[in-house]
Amino acid sequence: MKRVVSVSLGSSRRDHKVIIDLLGEKLDISRVGVDGDFDRALRLLGELDGQVDAIGLGGIDVYLFVRQKRYAIQDGLKLMEAVKVTPVVDGSGLKNTLEREVVKILARETDLLKKGARVMMVSSVDRFGMAEALAEVGCDMTFGDLVFTAGIPYAINTMEELEEIANKLLPEITKMPFHLIYPTGKKQESQDEAKVKKFAHYYHNADIIAGDFHLIRRFMPAGMSGQTIFTNTTTSADIAFLKEKGVGTLVTTTPEYGGRSFGTNVMEAALVAILNKELGQVTEQDYLELLRRLDFRPRIVKLGA
Amino acid sequence: MATHEEINEALQDFTVSFNNNDRLRLMNRDWNRVVIVKATDVESVHTWILKNGELTLQEGLTADPDLTVISDSETLADIFYGDVTPIEPYNNGTLRIIGTEDDITRLDFICLMIWGE
Repeated sequence: MKRVVSVSLGSSRRDHKVIIDLLGEKLDISRVGVDGDFDRALRLLGELDGQVDAIGLGGIDVYLFVRQKRYAIQDGLKLMEAVKVTPVVDGSGLKNTLEREVVKILARETDLLKKGARVMMVSSVDRFGMAEALAEVGCDMTFGDLVFTAGIPYAINTMEELEEIANKLLPEITKMPFHLIYPTGKKQESQDEAKVKKFAHYYHNADIIAGDFHLIRRFMPAGMSGQTIFTNTTTSADIAFLKEKGVGTLVTTTPEYGGRSFGTNVMEAALVAILNKELGQVTEQDYLELLRRLDFRPRIVKLGA
Repeated sequence: MATHEEINEALQDFTVSFNNNDRLRLMNRDWNRVVIVKATDVESVHTWILKNGELTLQEGLTADPDLTVISDSETLADIFYGDVTPIEPYNNGTLRIIGTEDDITRLDFICLMIWGE
């Protein structure tokens, strides 16, 4: 049996372990959160190196893509460089492929993504593929990167402005301590009440809220009116949270195993483990082919009445 | 080492760049803050007052700060002339900023919006 471990900077309360069958291959998949303790993550990665078949890095992105440009988050790189032997991924390789596919499937086969639908992405530079695909479908886009990362009440509405601002800021923002730009550890279990109140209208005025679940959760106000959430990682407790807020539908881009959908880093690590290829040789086509063989479908959960 | 006059020029330059940038003023119309900029190696203190998206600069300490930016004169001049971004001196401890994490992050974003690539 192959072993895949996701080491996450997030809360240990989300830890879990499952054994799954993926295209005839048994995989033992576990997730270990370090509650925002960066040094503990480094130690754990060092211990796992060479002992498991693939490692996913969770709670942090290493690479951000803006069209063809790639920016590396320095704290993420430090974690990746702690692993010398085992293939290690952050999910960004799969995210770009998978989330584009999900948007296409939803637009083609459901009524969840109609032209003109108002989509608010809490952050988009960490999933540029999804942002581009949603814009291509004809959604009315609001990108909340500045709002929810820096508290700046300025929504970006076009791909051109998103690209311009991203290319201006990302070369330096990626050097900032990660906890300043993303909720890590215990922050993932609480809401930022001041910003929930201040920025509630961005949520209330959207039909679809998309992006990273920790950000969506941290700033989601009460009084949602049946909106759709389009994200990746959720647990049963997250689903209860969304129901309580009044969300209508949850779409997750990764499949459910044992009552929760995994992070993209876990899925990418699992795919790398069964591909039996050098990590540097893995292509987008490999991922697309595996997703086709897995007959991958997004998970759609109706939450409202 | 930079002089008080050089720091003053750099801060004036930054103030003009901020006020000439309509998008940046729009982004910060809700953020009313007093920022003190203080050099450690020369007598130099400035007060920035950001109110309703308009930034004004005064020499000396003229109001109670929400944020205090402290560094050596050369680093301050470099940052506010746009020769270096604040991230590296902040990460290596050359630049200290006293304030809430949210305010520090926002100040970094403002600098990068002016001087970013």
